[in-house]
Amino acid sequence: MILIQRLLTCCFFAALALPVHAVPFQDEGGDAKKDEKQDDKKDDKKDDDKKPEDRWFAVVGGDVYTGTGAVLRGATVLSKNGKIEKIDFDVYMPPETKTLDATGYRVYPGLVAISSQGLLGNSGGDFEDTIDPFNSRMILGLATGITTTGSGSSAVKLKRFSVDDMVINDKIFSIFSWSNRSPRGKYDLREKFKNTSEYLRQYREWEKKVKDQKDLAEPSKKNVDGSCLSVLKGETTAKFVNNDADELLGIARLAQEFGFRPVIEGAQEAWTVADELGRAGARVILTPRDRRPKSELQAREGGTSIENAAILHRAGIPIAIVPSTEGVDLGGIAGRDIIHLPIEVGFAVRGGLPEQAALESITITPARIMGVSHRVGTLEVGKDCDLIVTDGDVLHYKSFVQYAVVDGKQVYDKERELFYAQIRPRPVAAEAKKVDKGETAPVKVDPAADAEKKDGEKKDDEGKDEEKKDDEKKDG
Amino acid sequence: MKFGRTRTLATGRRSLRFAFFVGACMATVAVGFAQTEQAPRAGEKAAPTGLALKARKALVVGAEGESFVDNALVLVKDGKIESVGPARTTVIPPGYEVIDCGTRWIAPGFVDLHCHIAAGSLGDLNDTVYMTNPELHASAAVTPNLPALKLAVAGGVTTVLFIPGSGSNMGGQGILLKTGFTKFEDMRIRDPGSLKLAQAGNPERWAIGVGRSHMNWNTRNTFERGLAYATMWERFEQGLGPKPERNIQWDIFRWLKAKKTQVSTHTQRYQVVLATLTMVRVGFGLDVYIDHGEWFGSKLAAYAEEIGVNAIIGPREVDVPSFSLDTDGAILGIAASYQKNGHTKIGFNTDSPVVPQEELSVQAAVAVRYGFDDSRQDSMRGLTYVPALTAGIAHRVGSLAPGKDADLIVTTGDPLDPRSSVEIVFIEGRRVYDAAVEKRRW
Repeated sequence: MILIQRLLTCCFFAALALPVHAVPFQDEGGDAKKDEKQDDKKDDKKDDDKKPEDRWFAVVGGDVYTGTGAVLRGATVLSKNGKIEKIDFDVYMPPETKTLDATGYRVYPGLVAISSQGLLGNSGGDFEDTIDPFNSRMILGLATGITTTGSGSSAVKLKRFSVDDMVINDKIFSIFSWSNRSPRGKYDLREKFKNTSEYLRQYREWEKKVKDQKDLAEPSKKNVDGSCLSVLKGETTAKFVNNDADELLGIARLAQEFGFRPVIEGAQEAWTVADELGRAGARVILTPRDRRPKSELQAREGGTSIENAAILHRAGIPIAIVPSTEGVDLGGIAGRDIIHLPIEVGFAVRGGLPEQAALESITITPARIMGVSHRVGTLEVGKDCDLIVTDGDVLHYKSFVQYAVVDGKQVYDKERELFYAQIRPRPVAAEAKKVDKGETAPVKVDPAADAEKKDGEKKDDEGKDEEKKDDEKKDG
Repeated sequence: MKFGRTRTLATGRRSLRFAFFVGACMATVAVGFAQTEQAPRAGEKAAPTGLALKARKALVVGAEGESFVDNALVLVKDGKIESVGPARTTVIPPGYEVIDCGTRWIAPGFVDLHCHIAAGSLGDLNDTVYMTNPELHASAAVTPNLPALKLAVAGGVTTVLFIPGSGSNMGGQGILLKTGFTKFEDMRIRDPGSLKLAQAGNPERWAIGVGRSHMNWNTRNTFERGLAYATMWERFEQGLGPKPERNIQWDIFRWLKAKKTQVSTHTQRYQVVLATLTMVRVGFGLDVYIDHGEWFGSKLAAYAEEIGVNAIIGPREVDVPSFSLDTDGAILGIAASYQKNGHTKIGFNTDSPVVPQEELSVQAAVAVRYGFDDSRQDSMRGLTYVPALTAGIAHRVGSLAPGKDADLIVTTGDPLDPRSSVEIVFIEGRRVYDAAVEKRRW
């Protein structure tokens, strides 16, 4: 259906564009004809194209941190039908554009949590049937700035109120076990890869030859492991969960031998074997605050280090960061769960990771690992308009996400949700220009009317505050 | 002392001295360090040399308001702070060692009033003999030089109140310690550091069938008897009565009555905090503070402030929406609630190892995140001055004032920010941690 729609759109634009470009200058006589033609076209469109109008959305006035390293101060991010159309200054916006004023705030790409628990409701398996898009944890996720999360082996968007097209990639990982406790398991895995790579070699030869020799038998799939095959074919990514240096070295050797780039989660001692992991093209998912002492019996370096992320980064290894608790865990000790993801990243910076790499560890790097970097992870033209508006550096402990936008739709507003509204409320001036409800064309702003509106809102807000205070007194 | 990481063979491994840890294995999580041979013996008092520290910013942290010096010079002599002032106008006396910290900041070392990590094992600490054990000493379990203590230093925590656990209503007496020294005598600031009281929340678990009514009665009974003993001694000292027979079980109450130490109370919920305030403070007139403060004890903030009971908050810094809280879905910062309800003396604790000792500053950062107003440096004060004042050691630690112990931390920026790293730590003018030497920072 989408394909057909796109085809139609393309045809329509092609048809519309042709006459304009073909006849840039026209004498008066020809003008009438052209109008007729265009009217015909419009009628045609009404008849056979039921496509809804383009949905335009813009975030204006914020300092745009694109996530690629560039910062555009006071720029506009314009999106059309959920895709970023333009990031620039003095952008022309169609009159029907809904705008969100981010003046004085920062605009970042929506964060990507490479794994999380509970943000999608009790989801599992078939996402579109099990995700709860009204789930309060999804609001907390968006309030943290997370707009895309890994869940199991899928990359899913936190599309509030809707389950359409939430899953942007699935069957990402093939998970393997590689443990010193099971030498037999390690041997078996190596054998599986060996057999599978041998099969793949034979299969490719067969593919070439079968064009000429039609009756040539396809190589046998005996002893071929499905997971290994998909990894070696590049269809899925091999994922390991390992922490010990010697296990990491084993994985690095395996990966180099069979030519795939592993993703290693945990990786507590990775900093001691960073060069080897770098050579193997490993990607690492780590928690900077992981704690594990070095074995006293071990002469070489070991255990966890706050510098893990920084050392791996210097070795050229892409790193994605997750907190130690992947769910929302406010009942316990604050600061270690998924809604404190940027704070966890702060500890990697403490260990020496550059700020830009730190931002990338929760945006573009996890997006790349999950194969969705063409859609999310940075603010770039053509990508999904998933962004957050924050009141400061996203990695600062005091910053809060003020607005979250997914697919060019505002899905979170701090002042409109119960969780954080009472914490450092937005100044009224910044409140003035909310997202236009879209009933009327925005853009034209009458300063006088705007001022009145502000005053009105201010009074309303004050009233609410007083009520709140009364309530609190009653509580006390 | 220096506690460097062990080196790999490739980088030329230093010969290791046998790192001995009394109490063998640690139950707490910590990175293992080993002593290096080159390390100076910090356990011995260093020769008194002057020290001049230059820094981008020095957070003085006074009793109230915001207090800092930009482009500061801190002079240290004989383990005490000599002066804190602008580098431009301060003259460095001859013979002083000058350390240029560049763009780094200097702040007072952090003080944590709820610590359980200075012992080899938690079992040494939670000796639940009776429901009230005022005679037990946490000092008996102190083990200097533990990995967890070293990490505490690397996290900027220079002073802790090491206290018994909350298995019983009175776990015993805490001890105030400097974290970075290798000798017990150097570490000790004051013993008893406090009398540990836990009114509810934990002790129920151990004494099955005992609820709050009995616990309150029993605790009150212990206080009454202890204070009666202390009063007899007071009367004797004033020449008003006969010399009482010494009973070491009740000796701590003489300290309490003379206001030489405080009652540190693990107290959280409304009615439990109320019991602390009414029984210990109003009823017995003792110096007491809310330690391990959490949840909706904050409703009593104004009353606590009025009767001079300080609030030390942690390890939980946020409150989740629930029926009992009646917050209409809002997530509350606990310190913010105390502050909003009118409390001005709010500190932070970790309850280490519940929250790792070195993450004390993160406790304050999380509090600020969830609404604690730090525009007047209250967050920094809650890590330093307020706990020092609360434990009665503000004349020695808690701010950068002349005459106080030179317990200083040098950080790469805002000490609260997880992104800032503690680079150098001085305790009493002695360099007990240097990230450049020891590499492994926290």
